[in-house]
Amino acid sequence: MSASPESNAAGVTGGAGEDIFQLSRRLRAGIEGDLHEHLVEALYADAGRIASRAVSRPGRERRATFDATLDRIVTSRVWGFPVMLGLFALIFWLTISGANVPSALLADLLVGRGYPWLQELAVAAGLPAWLRGLTIDGMYLATAWVVSVMLPPMAIFFPLFTLLEDFGYLPRVAFNLDRLFQRAGAHGRQAMSTMMGFGCNAAGVVATRIIDSPRERLIAILTNNFALCNGRWPTQILIATIFIGGLVPAHFAGLFSAAAVTGVALLGVGFTFATAWLLSRTILKGQVSTFSLELPPYRPPRFWRTLYTSLIDRTLFVLWRAVVFALPSGALIWASANLEVGGRSVAEHAITGLDPLGLALGLNGVILLAYVIAIPANEIVIPTVLMLTVLSAKMTGVGGGAGVIFELDSPEEIKRVLTAGGWTVLTGVNLMLFSLLHNPCSTTIYTIYKETRSARWAALAALLPLAIGFAVTALVALVWRALS
Amino acid sequence: MKLFALLAGAGAATALLGWPRHGILARWREARSAAARIRREDALKHLLKCEANGSPATSLSLGGALGLREGEAAALLRDLEARGLVSFAGGALALQPDGREIALHVVRAHRLWERHLAEETGVAEARWHRLAERQEHRLTPAEADALAARLGHPLSDPHGDAIPAPGGELSADDGQPLNAIATGQPFMLVHIEDEPEDVYAAILRLGLRPGMRGYVMGRSTAALRLWIEGREVELRPSTAQQLSARELHAVSRADLRGERTLADLPPGARGGVIGLSASCRGAERRRLLDLGFVPGSVVEARFASPAGDPTAYEVRGALVALRRDQACHVRIAAEGEVAA
Repeated sequence: MSASPESNAAGVTGGAGEDIFQLSRRLRAGIEGDLHEHLVEALYADAGRIASRAVSRPGRERRATFDATLDRIVTSRVWGFPVMLGLFALIFWLTISGANVPSALLADLLVGRGYPWLQELAVAAGLPAWLRGLTIDGMYLATAWVVSVMLPPMAIFFPLFTLLEDFGYLPRVAFNLDRLFQRAGAHGRQAMSTMMGFGCNAAGVVATRIIDSPRERLIAILTNNFALCNGRWPTQILIATIFIGGLVPAHFAGLFSAAAVTGVALLGVGFTFATAWLLSRTILKGQVSTFSLELPPYRPPRFWRTLYTSLIDRTLFVLWRAVVFALPSGALIWASANLEVGGRSVAEHAITGLDPLGLALGLNGVILLAYVIAIPANEIVIPTVLMLTVLSAKMTGVGGGAGVIFELDSPEEIKRVLTAGGWTVLTGVNLMLFSLLHNPCSTTIYTIYKETRSARWAALAALLPLAIGFAVTALVALVWRALS
Repeated sequence: MKLFALLAGAGAATALLGWPRHGILARWREARSAAARIRREDALKHLLKCEANGSPATSLSLGGALGLREGEAAALLRDLEARGLVSFAGGALALQPDGREIALHVVRAHRLWERHLAEETGVAEARWHRLAERQEHRLTPAEADALAARLGHPLSDPHGDAIPAPGGELSADDGQPLNAIATGQPFMLVHIEDEPEDVYAAILRLGLRPGMRGYVMGRSTAALRLWIEGREVELRPSTAQQLSARELHAVSRADLRGERTLADLPPGARGGVIGLSASCRGAERRRLLDLGFVPGSVVEARFASPAGDPTAYEVRGALVALRRDQACHVRIAAEGEVAA
């Protein structure tokens, strides 16, 4: 805005001796309304004038009709939700079924071949047993496990998801679901970060960047952990097959356990809304809140670019953080099972110490310890549980020794080990609940810290679901024991 | 042994009670002196406001404003006089320069803090005044200046009151009581008194804010009917007394009648933006402006989400979804309606 001669004539010239601050104050008091708004209006007016002279839009009409038709379908009362559910079912199906083969290949390569090969190498190099245990049984094995279980699903899920995003469909999902999130005090775009959370919570937390309103973004970050992530699906499916499927006749078992897993995932969605509602009305009340949702025009996704960015920005980024945390934690797992104090390993002491609390929650000390030392990734919780169960029940002939996490080929064998470890149906049910409702993995907690730049929010994000998990499992155990 | 424990206990209790600065006694003394300072500042603020509005302050009006008994108010004034903050020298109660400086700072801090709460936080409107009442005694002049700089040296608080410049003058309340505006005369609300709290909350519930334009449709002894920003509002004359308005002469009643909000647009219809409602503030307002909801933009309602809310609007070539409570903030003049 430059001062024009007219405005000068209209009394802008300061009287002799009037200092420049007084002058500016006097001029400003004469402006009706808000200066910032006048600037925005002037900018838009100028931009509009220039654009109308300089920009031509060939083919705009046809595009607009195409967009409008597509919008009418994907946001219609009849087709909006079925299209959405269908697409996401397809993505999950592709992820789960597509990840099986590469996961098995990676596991075979890294755990099946790489692990014994490294062992031999270390023996040949004359490394002492404790060092071999710490580095190869502990650090390498945990990391190899995380990579082989985590990498393939993410490498499929993230590119598919990013393609939908690039095409312009995801903002329409947020548009369709906004009313639901609005009731809970959240933003429609949280639908996207939640769905991303089903792939990986750390990536889901990063995805909340698209929510531009501070309060709603914090809500999305703090509740993302209730989206059952990729690393927890195998635990759910395994435990449901072993303990829930066994409750009904064999030909219903598959259906029944699948329903139980879906139920847990839906319970997570329920907790997302309930917690969002609670947070927005209590501790987040004073945070700034605005809403806006742009619906960009549809465009053909840039396939290779999408593939590249989703692999680098999301998959490798998350994987790298997981590896960084898996290394020390692998060492910790091995050390806890092999360091002995008073004739028993540290892990056994910890299990005995945690047992009273674990049993009160309908779980046991092994599970609680596994969730503490397997904090880098939910993927290694079951292998750690198996190793600790064998260790504390002094079983022989199963697994690879103290501190070596392992997986068994069939659910029946796992069931045998767990039952020998004192597990009941209640333990199975509560493990499923606790797997949904516990602190996020260390990768996610660290990501929350990086995103919010606040240790306070990171601590709340970790402790809130943990507290809910303790309360829910304790309640279930109480009711279960009262009824049986 | 017993004696020793007793002595240690007594020592600990004494320390807890009498420790300099952190002991209970020191804390209590501190709280008491802070309370006394707050009362002095509140008294000076009252005197300044009376002075600015040209109504003489007395110990009676002071007692009423601060909720003190007559004797307490008189004692407070004696204290202020002893500190050289007020004087009775001219035959009437008047602020001394030092007292005026403190009072002006307190008013400035209060209004700046309300502005900060309105612009930079999501704190509910009904709580602004109470929070600012506390904060006005905590901010130092330097902090108030820093806050003003951060907020872009605002001229008025969210209730429409002018924020005085440091060392400047407190201007008199703007406008005239709404009850004094003639029926049918277009006006703009310029000020809403935020005390007493329950009446203020009732005004907020009616959705009235400084900056809104309208006219009085009719009045009786029991009620005042207003047309304001595209809707009718009814309020009691005693409530209306809390509102001040300025007459508008460049605006006609027909203009005001033609005003609607974006939320009234059915899908397929268009309207030209007149402006944003004054009730939309802070980040929310800036966001709407940035999206292009500025005077002169033509907006077309396109389609609603399956749940009915939000609705997608086309503005300046972009498709933007707004929730209903936001669309209510965009004032439009309905244009030639396009068939859906």
